[in-house]
Amino acid sequence: MNMAVVGKSVKRLDTVGKVTGTAIYAGDVSLPGMLHAKIKRSTLAHATIKRIDAGKALKLPGVKAVLTHENVPRVLHYGSPHPRSASVTRDQYILDSKVRYWGEGVAAVAATSEEIAEEARDLIEVEYEALPALLTVEEALRPSAPLIHDTGPGGNLVLEPVIVSRGDVSRGFAEADLIIEGDFKLGRPVPAYMEPNVCLCQWDGIGKLTVWISTQTPFMVRGILAEVLGLPLHNVRVLVNHMGGGFGAKQDLFQNEFLCALLAKQAKRPVRMELSRKETFLSGRSRHSGRVWLKQGFKKDGTITARQARVTFDSGAYGSHGPGVTAVGTAALTSLYRCENVHLEGRCVYTNTPIAGAFRGYGVVQTYYALDIQMDEAAERLCIDPAQLKLRNAVREGDLAPSGHPITGHGLEDCIRRGMDEVGWPQCRRQAAAPAAAQAQQENIDRRLRYGWGIGCEMHGSSAYPGIKEQGNAIIKMNEDGTVTLLTGATGLGTGTHTALAQIVAEEMGVKFEDVAVVHGDTDVVPWDIGAFASHTTFMVGRAAQMAAVEVKKQLLERAAERLEAAADDLEIAGGMISVKGVPNMAIGVREAIAPRLGMPAAHLVGTATYHPTKSYSFAAHFVQVKVDTQTGQIEVVQVVPVHEIGRVIHPVAAAGQIEGGIQQGIGHTLTEDYVIDPTDGRPLNSSFVDYKVPLSLDMPPIRTLILETAPSAGGPFGAKGVAEDPIIAIGPAITNAVYDAIGVRFRHYPITPEQVLIALRDCGQSAARDDLAA
Amino acid sequence: MKHSVPVTINGEAQELSVEPYRSLLDALRNEMGLTGTKKGCDVGDCGACTVLMNGKPVNSCLVLAVEAKDADIVTIEGIQSAPDRLHPLQENMMKYGGSQCGFCTPGIIVMAKALLDEHPDPTEEEIRFGIAGNICRCTGYTKIVEAIQATARELAVSRKDLAP
Repeated sequence: MNMAVVGKSVKRLDTVGKVTGTAIYAGDVSLPGMLHAKIKRSTLAHATIKRIDAGKALKLPGVKAVLTHENVPRVLHYGSPHPRSASVTRDQYILDSKVRYWGEGVAAVAATSEEIAEEARDLIEVEYEALPALLTVEEALRPSAPLIHDTGPGGNLVLEPVIVSRGDVSRGFAEADLIIEGDFKLGRPVPAYMEPNVCLCQWDGIGKLTVWISTQTPFMVRGILAEVLGLPLHNVRVLVNHMGGGFGAKQDLFQNEFLCALLAKQAKRPVRMELSRKETFLSGRSRHSGRVWLKQGFKKDGTITARQARVTFDSGAYGSHGPGVTAVGTAALTSLYRCENVHLEGRCVYTNTPIAGAFRGYGVVQTYYALDIQMDEAAERLCIDPAQLKLRNAVREGDLAPSGHPITGHGLEDCIRRGMDEVGWPQCRRQAAAPAAAQAQQENIDRRLRYGWGIGCEMHGSSAYPGIKEQGNAIIKMNEDGTVTLLTGATGLGTGTHTALAQIVAEEMGVKFEDVAVVHGDTDVVPWDIGAFASHTTFMVGRAAQMAAVEVKKQLLERAAERLEAAADDLEIAGGMISVKGVPNMAIGVREAIAPRLGMPAAHLVGTATYHPTKSYSFAAHFVQVKVDTQTGQIEVVQVVPVHEIGRVIHPVAAAGQIEGGIQQGIGHTLTEDYVIDPTDGRPLNSSFVDYKVPLSLDMPPIRTLILETAPSAGGPFGAKGVAEDPIIAIGPAITNAVYDAIGVRFRHYPITPEQVLIALRDCGQSAARDDLAA
Repeated sequence: MKHSVPVTINGEAQELSVEPYRSLLDALRNEMGLTGTKKGCDVGDCGACTVLMNGKPVNSCLVLAVEAKDADIVTIEGIQSAPDRLHPLQENMMKYGGSQCGFCTPGIIVMAKALLDEHPDPTEEEIRFGIAGNICRCTGYTKIVEAIQATARELAVSRKDLAP
């Protein structure tokens, strides 16, 4: 299909504001009389509050409102979106008489300045009675462990174990020529979006609440606030203009939204609550840490005969997305590499640690890390090249995806083959062939540095369906000058969503991209939206926008038909001109067609559509070269060649940007990022960018991104699929497998620190490191 | 007690009225309404609040507003080449996809301007070193580096055109 707008890297609608400093984020909004709020946070990981006294704080001049668990509504709520789904847990109060993690909010104050609010916060007296803090999954699962929550199935489980089974694993293992098992330990990275959590709340004279907030899910924020505060939905208005990243975590509510709204109500003045970076760490959401025990059986030819796994995730103090993450992460192991006999168990466990939630990759980062490293190990033991082993077992057309839907096309195989060609696999590997002459020479001079290549693969669904029943909505209005306005509830996290939607509308309607405007960010105005997550916005809302465009185009052509004295069915639009098919000189402009006529000031042409998505999967294979310094233990990613199959690409630069950014986060996960909890008292130890190490510009390698469109989705707009989450999944195992190629050490955890590399090298007696350590 | 601080902001003489403990960042955002400069950490770790102070990049969260007395401050709002013309860095950040969520973007553009003012023809390594104090969590930096490289090339051409 010949495309005029789709597939072009048009100028994004959101970036002019971003490069000029005029884009408005929630923290940029000020209102007359606005107060500033601060949260008092617990200094124990598990305790009941015996006494809380805000008397001194209230007496401080400038303090206008104080909240503790004694004067806020006690409503058990879901701290997350799609509250009616099984993905999230209803286990939170606005403030409780019990604290379940170090840093949990116990009180809040609003005052005329931030300084007064801080002073008042420190004047609030809290007397705790400490409870045993359960800081690991093992501690929490002990039969004698105290319960962190009264809700849930008991035993500190967030949900009943997830069991996914098909075929007969016993038979599968009996048929195997090789059985490998491994225990994989996964750290606790956090999304570390650049914009700390912030909201601003204002009540009007008739009891309507307006909230400016940084969230991926404005309608869910609206719904939960309305439910907990006892308001009808039309009396809660949530505004999100620009937001500084979210990466999944900003689907949750973080206590501050409720507190900010209630403080504003009590003070009868608008209140801004801006969390500090430290608070954003403390009360934010991490990826689920945990363990994956994985066992697989293989035939000599590489065929997988059985796969068994036990996935155990640490949910932290609240359930948040634990159920969804556990279900999606566990079920992911049914697929990627074909296997008929599968038995998987997934558990999610409360502990007295910071809350784990939704984060790009949603459980799959963890399980595919284990799966893809074990595939590398199997390849070596079977004397098969790892890329060939993955090709042999890659899921393909007609196979079942983790969702139970058949896969379309051969995306995974296409990615692996394309990447092999690009990097010259397997000759580039250290193990596969004699090192290239130059490298060998260098190694002779300096045996300290070892190079290796690895491959990591993944697949990920566009949309959370069928785990959640989803829908995309769109409304399109024609303006009387021929321009077009799309109303969408989709939030712009920074991915270029609104630009992609405008491209889709322009393409479908045959108008110029510049003639499409996008209205978003106001729950009073735009159609309902489930939120921006699950790699689904371009796929699902894009399709809804396309369907609405079809609808309004039909109305426009009917109107033009009168002018052109032709049947509407015989008309087409291209480049802003409506013409009779095959008679290009019988044409009028879109503007002319919509223009006021017969004394009427405007034509009311509105298209509206709802799309319930089918399931589609995108695929990727990442090829990574690393350099390991055997003297310092430092692992450096030298280059990455990510190959992604994502169906029709709407905006190539934005799509590549998603891939490169995901790789950056994945490199961080694998090598440096870990939110560390003090094992003695549960206090987080690195709540800052100095101590929590995200990759910086100097840490990032060259990335040569390749995007394939070989398996477009019939369900997506013009065949598009999702891309947002995919890159963060494949990069981790690719790095770890490359480290194995470089130094022959098989790591089964992340992050892999230099110290661990040195210890491992010493333990396996590799000379360069051993000599240095001895010296 | 508030202090009166004379300062030039984006070419305009201003009088800040600020408490002695107020950071330049908060003064810019809250007193001057210049909210383009972002607060990502408030402790000098992330670079989102970078502004030019007498031509040099600073983390405005680490500068007290009273320290800016008589200083020449340039924020993202003052980077444009002319009221109706963006700076090439701004154009290229858009064109190359160097801005995603945009929260780090003002700081990175200001930092890149300082870099190019001092090193008109930087190597890739120098660019990466130059923005090493600016955290971006969205892009992986590739497209930011490309945008700065492209700008350096364009500025070199325009300098050549202007040469006598």
